[in-house]
Amino acid sequence: MTPTRRTLFMGAAALSGALAAARVLTPDRAYAAQAMTAAADWSLATADVEGDVAPRALTLVHGRAPVGLSGSLYRNGPAKFRRPGGSAQHWFDGDGLIRRWRIEDGQATLAARFADTPKRRQEAEVGAMLMPGFGTVADPRARIGSADDASPANTSVHMVGGKLWALWEAGSPLAMDPETLETEGFVALRHDLKNMPFLAHPRIEPDGRIWNLGLNGRQAMVWRLAANGTLEAAELIALPRASYIHDFSATARHLVIVLQPWVHTRNVMPISAGFEWTPQAGTQVLVIDKSDLSQRRIYELPPFGFFHAGDAWEEADGTIRLDLSAHKDMDFAARGAHEVLNGVPLGQDPAELAMVVLEPGGRGRLERTGVVGEFPRSDPRRAGLARRFSLHTTGERADRPLASAVAVTDWTSGRTRSFDFGPGHVTDEMVYVPKPGGVHEAEAWLIGPTINLAAGVSELHVLDLMQVEDGPVATWRADVALPAAFHGNWA
Amino acid sequence: MIRTLAVAALLAFAAPAFAQTENRLTLTFETGAETGAVLVALYDAEAAYEGGQPTRVARVDVAAGQREAVFDLPAGAYGMKAVHDLNGNGKMDVNPFGMPTEPYAFSNNAVGNMGPARWDRARFEVSGATAQTIRIR
Repeated sequence: MTPTRRTLFMGAAALSGALAAARVLTPDRAYAAQAMTAAADWSLATADVEGDVAPRALTLVHGRAPVGLSGSLYRNGPAKFRRPGGSAQHWFDGDGLIRRWRIEDGQATLAARFADTPKRRQEAEVGAMLMPGFGTVADPRARIGSADDASPANTSVHMVGGKLWALWEAGSPLAMDPETLETEGFVALRHDLKNMPFLAHPRIEPDGRIWNLGLNGRQAMVWRLAANGTLEAAELIALPRASYIHDFSATARHLVIVLQPWVHTRNVMPISAGFEWTPQAGTQVLVIDKSDLSQRRIYELPPFGFFHAGDAWEEADGTIRLDLSAHKDMDFAARGAHEVLNGVPLGQDPAELAMVVLEPGGRGRLERTGVVGEFPRSDPRRAGLARRFSLHTTGERADRPLASAVAVTDWTSGRTRSFDFGPGHVTDEMVYVPKPGGVHEAEAWLIGPTINLAAGVSELHVLDLMQVEDGPVATWRADVALPAAFHGNWA
Repeated sequence: MIRTLAVAALLAFAAPAFAQTENRLTLTFETGAETGAVLVALYDAEAAYEGGQPTRVARVDVAAGQREAVFDLPAGAYGMKAVHDLNGNGKMDVNPFGMPTEPYAFSNNAVGNMGPARWDRARFEVSGATAQTIRIR
């Protein structure tokens, strides 16, 4: 039997022994002790938020709001990790806090609400974090009838058919009201497809059509949804290996699935401990025809790890290009993200921005840039189409795991321009927002928050893509600090 | 003689039945849908509950307005598993990865920990008139 999330959630008797062992071995108490001594200045990035954040006005502290800029940046990320009776042991396992940064009539506001999940309700009642996660072992008191019961709904948020969908990767989308941020419930895309996994990184075509994957070991569900969230197709495909897949990509014609050599080999808890780094196997890239999922090709590349990819595109001769953040290995997922949660520096190389090139003849290669880069984003109007720019974070260092800078890499010139907020800030992913009426790819803003560590509050920044190195054209300051979020979108 | 035997047989049959009505288990199902039927399996021992045969089964015709399953039983420990067969195809439907797509429940409204509720959570005593209301939605 292929080791899968299903076996983890459907409960083999053997698991209980592994659970008990893992609980003893998981050194969260040791991490907590380390954190006390480390007292990292960036610990606000993984701090707890105790409750929902009521809508509030932000204070403009720099520049002015660009004329014509209007909309909301919805972001999601874990913001509750610790309870008196037990805590999450991994950064990926905290409760999702959905934040809305709104810019309107030159003013900015912030509101945030936790995803009101069965997980959060059960844990609040007991006063302990109970649920198993990516790097957290289940508490014996947890009551789990499906993967959705364990969902922190904490990874990304998309506007679909007038609702916000808070996304995780091992369960269903969670629908929320975009105005009140009130949770409405899990989305079943079809009655016979309830409780299926749905990744937090759907690929959205320029016309709004949504492609996504749901993973189960060496099987993947390929989801195709209309822009309004209606299911158009759901088809199972076989994968050549049970790689950890957090993200995938797509061109206008193809799905591009990067299969890193971090492969699920053991049914143990937590989930992250079941994967093995097997660099000798290299990294594979599976390319599938969107119009016929049986049409596929596999490319062999040197080994690298990754979480995040950009939107792929195809050149006239059929060459596929795909930007991604290449990690040397997946030690961050296996180990580092436990330590980040407790303020411990990582002492490992940050991710490097790189380009995957897949030639029509069947040869593939990874072109490295030497630029530190994570959280790649680009123009949503050009998703799957040829483009010039990637937006990304930069400035991570071995002794500081989170970014302090944002950058724009121009693939035409090979040049990267960046702005460093300095060690006093932790930067989130920033999104691409087209200027009103703008048609050129360069006519855009970068919008995203940082945590101002000295002031102990979050800030919202707008930068001009063409002058990113000049820093923000507008900065607003909140009266609260929200921890680092993972992903979000402008709507 | 024949009549005596018949009466004895009747008594032999009726006596336990009379005793069992003293231990009547009533399960009332609160369903989230009005269609199909709730399929109920009752087990009288841990080994049976965790992978053997049920001691009793019942079909609660939800579409016809039924919500109760009634069992007359010897007193003792039991565990119950139920599935709401929404589409009436006689089985618990699962998604392509094998996860249930129809509501299911266990006695005590127990929920498992990454799997079906185990005997220690679902076990209950039947003694005299016993009733449980089971949420299955």
